[in-house]
Parts: sequence; C-alpha cells; structure tokens
Amino acid sequence: MNYEISLLTTMAIAVMFALSLNLITGFCGQISLGHATFQGVGAYTAAMLGKAGWPFLATLPVAMVLAGLLGVIVGLASLRVRADFLAITTMGVGFLFVGIVRQQEFLGGELGISSIPDHGLGRLGFMALALVMCVGVAALSMYIKRSWMGRVFNGIAEDEDTMRVLGIDVPRYKLAAFAMGTALAGMSGAFYTYHLNFIGAESFGFVESITVLSMVVFGGIGSVPGVIIAAALLSVLPAWFQVIGDYKLLVYGGLLFLMMRFSPSGMAGLAMRLSTTKLLPKEGRS
Amino acid sequence: MLAIELIAQGLIQGSIYALVALGLTLVYGLLRILHVAHAALFTLGGYVGVLVCNASGNLPLGFFCAALVSGLGGVVMFRLAYQPLLNQPPYVALIASIGLFIASEEAFRIIFGAQGMSFNTPSLEQQFSIGGLQFKLAELLVMLSTAAIIGVLAFLQSRTRVGIACQATVSDPQMAQSFGISLRQVRDINFFVGSALAGFAGVWVALLNNLVEPTMGSVPSYKALAIIVLGGLGSVPGTLTAALLLGVIEAFGTIYLGGILDRNAIAFAFLIAVLMVRPQGLFARS
Amino acid sequence: MNNTASGAPLLKVDHVTVRFGGLTAVDDVSFDVHEGDLLGLIGPNGAGKTTLMRSIIGVVNPTEGKVSLGGESLNGLPIHQRIQRGMSLSQQLVKPLRDISMRDNVALAAASEKTLSPLRALLNVSTERELAVAQYELERVGIASMASQSPSTQPLGVLKRLELARALALKPRLLLLDEPLAGLNSQEAHALAGTIAEINQQGLTIVLIEHNLGEVMRICQRLVVLDNGKKIGDGAPRVVMADPAVRAAYLGGDVLGAAAAEGQPTVEAHHA
Repeated sequence: MNYEISLLTTMAIAVMFALSLNLITGFCGQISLGHATFQGVGAYTAAMLGKAGWPFLATLPVAMVLAGLLGVIVGLASLRVRADFLAITTMGVGFLFVGIVRQQEFLGGELGISSIPDHGLGRLGFMALALVMCVGVAALSMYIKRSWMGRVFNGIAEDEDTMRVLGIDVPRYKLAAFAMGTALAGMSGAFYTYHLNFIGAESFGFVESITVLSMVVFGGIGSVPGVIIAAALLSVLPAWFQVIGDYKLLVYGGLLFLMMRFSPSGMAGLAMRLSTTKLLPKEGRS
Repeated sequence: MLAIELIAQGLIQGSIYALVALGLTLVYGLLRILHVAHAALFTLGGYVGVLVCNASGNLPLGFFCAALVSGLGGVVMFRLAYQPLLNQPPYVALIASIGLFIASEEAFRIIFGAQGMSFNTPSLEQQFSIGGLQFKLAELLVMLSTAAIIGVLAFLQSRTRVGIACQATVSDPQMAQSFGISLRQVRDINFFVGSALAGFAGVWVALLNNLVEPTMGSVPSYKALAIIVLGGLGSVPGTLTAALLLGVIEAFGTIYLGGILDRNAIAFAFLIAVLMVRPQGLFARS
Repeated sequence: MNNTASGAPLLKVDHVTVRFGGLTAVDDVSFDVHEGDLLGLIGPNGAGKTTLMRSIIGVVNPTEGKVSLGGESLNGLPIHQRIQRGMSLSQQLVKPLRDISMRDNVALAAASEKTLSPLRALLNVSTERELAVAQYELERVGIASMASQSPSTQPLGVLKRLELARALALKPRLLLLDEPLAGLNSQEAHALAGTIAEINQQGLTIVLIEHNLGEVMRICQRLVVLDNGKKIGDGAPRVVMADPAVRAAYLGGDVLGAAAAEGQPTVEAHHA
C-alpha cells in the first residue's frame, strides 16, 4: 500500500507542476524553459522554513509567494526580449538558479538539504492533501479557461499584436500568467520537499524544466485533461517500465519525438481526431 | 601573468564553443528552431573520431569521418524531425528535438557504455611554450582550425552564390530561390555544414580531454544556445565573437565569481545581463 | 452630422514628423478631425499614409510633433492605452483568431471593459452581454448570418466586414480604417464603402486610408492628401482633386485613380 500511496503522491505533485506550466505556456503561449526553477524556489523555501521549525502547511503560502515574486521578476525581464529569446532567457534563469544555489552553503551547497522534518499528516493524509490541491489547480485552470482571462490568454497566444489593437494590456496579462503559474509551481515544490525529505539543486535544472514542458506538450498544450493525463503517466514512467529498466529514457525520448512528429497537438489532439473519425462513418462521408 | 593565461584558456574553450555555436546559429537563423539535438551530433562526432582513429591510427581521417558522419546525421535529423514540422508552432520542433536529444544520449550510452571511450594513443600532446605560456599542440590547433574554418565560412557566405543564398533565406526566403538554389538545398547545406562543424568540435574535445562519453554534448550545446542569442542570429562573425568572449568571461568568472556562481551559470548570467541592457543581443543586425 | 459643431477637434495631428534613420516618411503633417467627419487619407504609394496612421495608433512614435485625441496627447502611450481612450483600428491585413467563431472574435472586442485588467477578466465569466453586442455589430456590417462560422473558411469580403465589426464592438469615438477596400472587387468595394458611409451617418467619426479613389470620392466629405510625406491637399474632395499639385502627384503614379477621381469612366480602379 505504501508504494502505491507514494506513487500517487508523486503523480499529484507532477500534475500540479505541469498544470502550472500549462497556464504560462499552454494558455498564454509563453515558452518557458526554466519552469523547474520556480518549483525549486518553493522547494527550498519549504525546506528552510521546515528546518527552522515551521509546520508544513504554513510553508505552503510562503513558498507560493516567493516563487510567484521571482516569477514576476522573470516575467518582467522576459517582456523586454524578443519572443524567440524568451525561451533562451528562461533557460538561462534555470541555469542561474542551479548555479547560485549550488555555491551557497546555507542552501546546502552541492549536497542539498536533507532530513526535512515530517509533515505530521501521515502518508495517506499527505497524499490526500496533494490530491486535493492538485484537483484545486485543475479546477482553477478550467475556470480560467472559461473566464474572460482565458479568452484573452488564448488571443495573446495566437496573435498578441492584434490583441494590443483590441485594447488589451498584453504585458500585464503575460505577467499575470507568469505570476500564477510560478506561484503554483512553488506550491508543487513545497509538496516535493516534504514528499522526498531531501532536495538538491540538480533536481530543479534544465532537464527537469524540459521534462515538465514535454509533459505539457505531450498532453496537448492548453488542454487541461490532456496535461493531467500526460503528467500522471510520464511522471511514473520509470516505475511502469521497470521491466525495460535500462531503456526507459530511450523510450521516453522516442515517445516525445514520435508524438510531436505525428500528433503535434499532443494527446488531446489525438483524442479529438479519434472522436471525429468515430462519428464520420455514422453520418456518412460526402 | 594570470590574466593572460586566463585569456588563453578562454580562447581555447571559446573556439570549441564557436564551432558548436556556428552550427546552431546556421540552423536557428534559418528555421527559428531551438535545435537542442545538435548536442547529439557533437557527441556522435566525438565517438566516430575516436573509433576511426583507434581503428586506423590516422587522426586526420578520424576528423574527416566525424565531420562527414555528423554532417549527414544533421541532414537526416532535419529531414526526419524538422522539415515535417515547419508549419507547426515552434515549441513542437523544440520538443521533438528534445526527444531526439534524450534518445540519442541514451543510445550512445547503451551502445558504447556509460564510461566512455578514449584514444588508444593520445596525440597532439606535445607541449609548446609561447610567450611564457604552456600550450598543448592540440590546444593551439583547435584555435587555428577554428579561425581557418570561420574565415572560410565567412568568405563563402559573402562571396559565393550559395553563401549569399543561405544568408538570404534567413531574411527573405523568396529571394534565395531567385539565386537558382532551392529552399530545400539551402536548408540541407546549412544542416550539413553546421552539424559537420559540431562533429569536428566533438573530436577536438575528445582529444583535449582524452575522453568521449554520452553526455558530453549537453553543456556545450546549452551554452551554444546562449551564444547564438548574443551573437546575432545567422551572423558568423557575431557568433564567433560571442563564443570567444564567453570563453574568456567564463575563464575569469570561474576565478573571481566562483564563490557565488558555478561555471555554467556564468555563461547565462552574462547572457541575461546583456539581454537586459540590449534586448536584441550583442550584435543584432537591423 | 455637423462638422463644425464643437470647436475642439476630436483628433488633432499636430506637426507630426516621422523619421526612420535617414528616411523621412512623414514630414510636418498637420490636420484636424472633427466629430462626425468621414475623412479620407489618400496619396500615391509610399506617400506616408500608413506610417502616419501607425503614428496615430502607436505602432511607431513620431520623431517630432504630437497626436491628440479629445484634447489629450497620445504621445508615448502604448497601443492598448490609445485604444482604451476611444480609438479603434481596422487593419489592412485581417487577422482574426482562427480557432473561435466570428461572433466570438467580435465578442472579445466587445468585452473591453471586462478585460481592462487581468483581475477583472478573471472575475468575469458571463458572455451574454458581449455576444449580444457582437450580434448587433455583425448585423450592422451585414454578416450576422455567418456569425457562428469560423473565420478560417471565409472569403476576403466577409473578413473585411468581420474586421470592421470587431473595431466597432470597441465602441470607439474614432474609427481608423487602413485600406478597408483593398483586395475587393468593385461590387464588394462599393457595398462596403456604402456600409462605412452608413456607419458614419449614424454618428461615428471615421478616418480611412484608401487607394480606391472612386469610392473615396463618393463617401468622404473631406480628403487629406499626402505625397512624399508632406501634406499637399486638405479639403472637400472635388476641390482637392482639382488642385494641380494633387493631380501631378497622382498622374506621376496612379493615372487610373486620378481619372476616376475626375469622374471619368475607368476599368476597375487600380489596386496595389
């Protein structure tokens, strides 16, 4: 039972993390190659506060605020550069974060932070909380999609110049997306810390950033159910493929490539195409 | 004395970066794709170089084969992965590239083992002394060959029909076709040349470290992404300058900023600092 | 509408010069637009009309001079703020959002109050009011029957009207139209020009750039002519087109257009 609980918790955290990136990249169209940084900020915040005696639940809001603040700063910086530089700038932020954290002794340096105090909720309780927050993030995403914010985001993602001509304060909306997405990533980071009881800078590097981006794209950029499923599946892929073991990364890389090659709109796109092909035979083709 | 040593070190490292970044800038300038999988071609070149040299005892042959195989590998990547995705939003090609990159690294690991390979008889080890500094012959040659290659490339780009057409495709694809060279040919050429350069660089690194291992491509490629932004897209002189500059800044930065940042972060700190001051990059063309 | 009703102009272009490096695209141009005007901004290709319009909208900033809306200077303001102050633009290259219906495209424009800030947008879900406004504007421009359809399958004539409906849904004080008739055949152009004139008669101030001189002469009460960045004419259409300087500028380039302006029979008016 413990193994399954741990697995579910991992999945919930990964889904939270992926959905938070989906807000920035999926809804608002801003490619971030450094999203793991914000999970890292949340994780380290929770770790430091936890070791200082704060209860787990109290670390959550602080983790979110700090991650969100950094997110706004990065967002402001990203507004200055051209769109195709945004990806590389966010990548740079990621390397900067890892690089700085690794050199600071008070943050654990190369060894990271270990012996995080227990969250006191019990394995099942912690998992339940993670799942609840995960559902919350999903619900928030769906709400945003239906609201006018979601409609504006959609417009910005497709054609931000036209949105300006429609009177939309595009920079402010992009910042809003960054702030929300990074804060939620920070929350997933706090959960991460207490789930693993140990964190190190290399857990929040470039590879992790592109992993979460792949989950979002694999699921279908912008599609909340797609991203949930993709994140849930891909996060426990190593576990699923224990049989294949040595080849799991090869499979992972191959899957990504094939999905992009044959269904660029991810699993959500596949699902849509499958459902329309099922309908057609009934209605008859012209 | 120390300063000059650092500058020399920086130029050597910068030459490697330049070779890798050139390939990337040719691709990015052309297709606006973040060709992360470029790293795999670098590593491939290293392996081919070592294998051929060990088998034949002939180092120049090793270089030649590495460049050839990598060049062809690059064209294959283009045809397989990027060409079909040209009409898709940019993140699709990026994720496909990431998938290829992960799969390639894994393939190298599975085929050649994680420990890596070395040259049976390391060569170009002779020491030279110039102006009081010690150089290995390999280090001198890598700088010279980079200079020679850049020179040839710059000449080809500005004086030959093919070269001008390549430049034109960046800004004006239609015009390139009026040179009687098809878009497809230009792209093939760009990928071939750029990838061959990466393969060539891979052999040099294998020589300098006497080691080739599966993950050796990642760090140079990430930095190359930063370099192409700094250097101005598609600009050969700009990329060269940015690469050399980065090499030198890293050399100094590791000494003076080593307490705060680690080596890789320095590259990106430099990038972000530059972009904040000049959002269009160091050598952006109008 | 009475052009001389209020003394103060709605839009004031005040000695605007726009320079790019060595090139002077707009050279010391001044004119006023009063409420209710239907003003045509014309001139041969390359005269600087588009650059001038871009400086009004805010895509480029004037090197010298000032643009004011309702007495308030617009200089330095980003595009979206100018739109929020009561201007709207119908672009030459129509780019609707492809994955939503035409009605939804217009509704997005109609939601300008709700989308003023991200927070406000987040707190608003209801689309009832905006859809109603969208339907109204689509009717006004005559494409209400296709409201639910996607823009990606529509012909240019419909897209041009969609663009107009979007601009109208912003409920502007001043409507800018950048070559609204470009690419349309003479029937479509005539119809759309008529719609534009109707909308002006309903009270909306309009400034348009247009090459189709036949229609421009028909619907505009006033013309401003640019040539090589300078203003060479300003006044009633017949008067302006009779001016030798204006005719020279056109005969140097657009012969058919000039002939159409004189009311002479032409084959189809020249399009860029």
